[in-house]
Amino acid sequence: MIASLKGLSYEERLRAFNLPSLEHRRRRGDMLQVYKTLNGIDRNAMWWCHSVVGGAHIGALKRMFLLSSTQQGSDPVFTFTTLLGIKPLTCVFGRAVHSLSKIGDELYIEPLEQGLSLRTVNSSRSAFACFVFSPSFFLHYDDGKTEDLSKPTTDHDDDDYDDSTIRCKIGMKSCLNVFKSLSTLEKTVEKCKININMQDARVIFQLYCRHGIMKTYNLAFIESETLQAVFSKDHTPNVLTTQSRLLCDAVTNFQTTQEEVSLIVNEDEVILKNYVEDEPDPNKIIHTQMRLNPEEFQVFQVGVNAEVTFCLKELRAVLHFSESANLPISIHFESPGKPIIFCLDSDPSFEANFVLATLADVSTQVSCSQRSTQTAQSKSKDSRNITAKKRQISSNNERSASKRHQDESNISASSFLSRNENIIKTKPREKTTNPTALQAATDHLLNYVELANDTKQSFSTNTETRETELRNNSQVLLTTSPRDSEEEESPRIPLQMHQQSTHQIISGFEEPEEQEEEVPGTPPHATQFKSLFFGLSQASSMASQQVRSPQTAHGEPMVLAEDTDDED
Amino acid sequence: MSLSTQESDEDSNYVLVARLDNARTMANILKAVHFKDTAIIFASQNGLKVTVEDAKCVQANAFLQASLFQEFVIREDQVTFKVNLTVLLDCLNIFGTSQVGGVMTALKLCYTGYGNPICLLLEENGVLTDCSLTTQDPEETLDFNFSSTNVINKIIMKSECLKEAFSELDMTSEVLQILMSPDKPHFRLSTFGSAGSSHSDFPKESDMMESFQCEKTQSNRYKISLLKPSVKALMLSSRISLRMDRRGFLSMQYMIKTDDGQVCFVEYFCAPDEMEEIDEDACS
Repeated sequence: MIASLKGLSYEERLRAFNLPSLEHRRRRGDMLQVYKTLNGIDRNAMWWCHSVVGGAHIGALKRMFLLSSTQQGSDPVFTFTTLLGIKPLTCVFGRAVHSLSKIGDELYIEPLEQGLSLRTVNSSRSAFACFVFSPSFFLHYDDGKTEDLSKPTTDHDDDDYDDSTIRCKIGMKSCLNVFKSLSTLEKTVEKCKININMQDARVIFQLYCRHGIMKTYNLAFIESETLQAVFSKDHTPNVLTTQSRLLCDAVTNFQTTQEEVSLIVNEDEVILKNYVEDEPDPNKIIHTQMRLNPEEFQVFQVGVNAEVTFCLKELRAVLHFSESANLPISIHFESPGKPIIFCLDSDPSFEANFVLATLADVSTQVSCSQRSTQTAQSKSKDSRNITAKKRQISSNNERSASKRHQDESNISASSFLSRNENIIKTKPREKTTNPTALQAATDHLLNYVELANDTKQSFSTNTETRETELRNNSQVLLTTSPRDSEEEESPRIPLQMHQQSTHQIISGFEEPEEQEEEVPGTPPHATQFKSLFFGLSQASSMASQQVRSPQTAHGEPMVLAEDTDDED
Repeated sequence: MSLSTQESDEDSNYVLVARLDNARTMANILKAVHFKDTAIIFASQNGLKVTVEDAKCVQANAFLQASLFQEFVIREDQVTFKVNLTVLLDCLNIFGTSQVGGVMTALKLCYTGYGNPICLLLEENGVLTDCSLTTQDPEETLDFNFSSTNVINKIIMKSECLKEAFSELDMTSEVLQILMSPDKPHFRLSTFGSAGSSHSDFPKESDMMESFQCEKTQSNRYKISLLKPSVKALMLSSRISLRMDRRGFLSMQYMIKTDDGQVCFVEYFCAPDEMEEIDEDACS
């Protein structure tokens, strides 16, 4: 157009006219608009409809605009829309509800700082799932807490928990009814609006479908306390991240009736195997084991060799969601007894966390007071607790471990759990020693002792039958004994070790059923999973997740978080 | 062929003779009204009408017009009898319900008269099946007295969206409330279940609506258990016409397209749960 500028680049042309770039101008326009909006000068929302590109900043401004324009004291309204063909968000939400429905019977809805949270916990409190949808997931997000900025005098500031915070729970079935058919959702629903009406105690889901059809669901809710599990993803030594496809394929190998599965990791491999508790007849049980290569994982961080056992059904619930969303899944775990966390946080608009309890060793079931009563019985019990990890135990470790193990034998939950703060960083192999051994590491080694002994004998061979036998006790297996703790072993242990070693080795092969009877007061093994996870102590703090689950003085199985709803 | 002479000889004995090249047509239509074991069949010059009733509150009629049949001969003005619908359907599907390779089952239905069984002759690929169904005295069918003059609201729409809505009805609710109104929401289906209430709104501007004639706002409740069988007919249909009269009686007419492109109608009448009209629900 202007001959003198022919052949120049965009930047050069701008410079020639001393003009700012388009991006700069857009930003400036945004700032002006935001100023106007926040100050109530211009409430015309049309400006942000203009640009389709540059979605990120538009989204942020949109939100800011919408948040500020809501009336004070209004009911929270969350509207999210599906842009058909771009991202079926309603479907993601629906799938999340489906996934949660496979875990618990009640859905807890609560708007948080980070976004709208949907949580549930299963009846035995051994599984907790939480989806948090950030405001960017929604077209319009109003959590009823926003201050009306145009009226600075009104004080609408909410502290963390006062009455205006909405925390409600609805029946899972009724919520599932709204998102019943995912395929229909995908095809026909264009927008979904969720409204929480505090006066009528109703959660209102409005689905705007094709052809102008609108479906409204008014679900009654009950106000409840926050449901929060106490767990920490950031401090777990083991983190695996992989595409959910890999796990899905692995999981299909297990029988549908399989209840529990174990995840075993060491430096070289990841093994998934089915967990067999009782084995009346070895020939009747099918053992399934899948070995995965570390290369198949995007993140493969093994701080401690671990073998954790958890419920397969809940894992399937996780995969049900992640696979359809095609997201990578992160697994954070540590040691038996500690929860294993499946995390889906690759998508910026939402985050999902599934926290499952893992089987603890039998010792955790026994209370502190029973420690002293432990005798050969418990020792033999422990020997049975040996699991696959034993292979990894070095012979050195074995010896020392067994020493320690003798004395404590059935290290009760108390001792085990009481060291939670200084969690044993059970060592993997010698190569990957974890220097953070606990002070009272001896307790933790109880299983290792047995392990050590038996491992020496036969585990190196890695025979499956052996493993299964040892697993009979449904004891959660500890990982390899920490090396450092060797020094700390109490002097009395070595005396007993030698006596017991052979005994243990032999007893290790027995079918261990009597453990339940031996120890009075031990809860039936079926309950080993539960009440390990959710607890009372966190009830008051309902804030975000705690770092560590504090242990009770009695070493009873730790409850990490609890739904403090009085109805319970 | 000897068969034709045979026919004309035998047919003179029959009060009703109907021949259909594709028995599946009839089977499909009858399936739409099959929610009770017995049905009353009215045969007239126009064709067959199969009526099924339940609880004296709901009545379903399937119309098989004479033009549907390859041959339809009736020697009396009207022939009525009661027959077991389940058995009739079983016979019609005697060669199986799946249609493979476009092979059709031919049907010949004969009825000699009062007190005699109806005779079904089915043939497929040279295999002949002869069924004889006992008939019973027909009962009085309900007369809903549903006349067009009393109709206040009438909606004709495509079945697709209603199919979804009906199949997703909250079955924990005892009633289905149907609201038809000239104002918003124009057409609303509501259920009140254990979880809470749910509403499906169909605006009159929707492209699913073919005709919308509502004079007055009417909202009536119908027992869901009575309406559930109509879903079968809805699933087979392509269009549906809903009419509500002054008393709140509901008439649903479904237009079903048969395999050979012909059109059949199935009609459902349902009495409201409560006789008086209810105002629009206060639920949000």
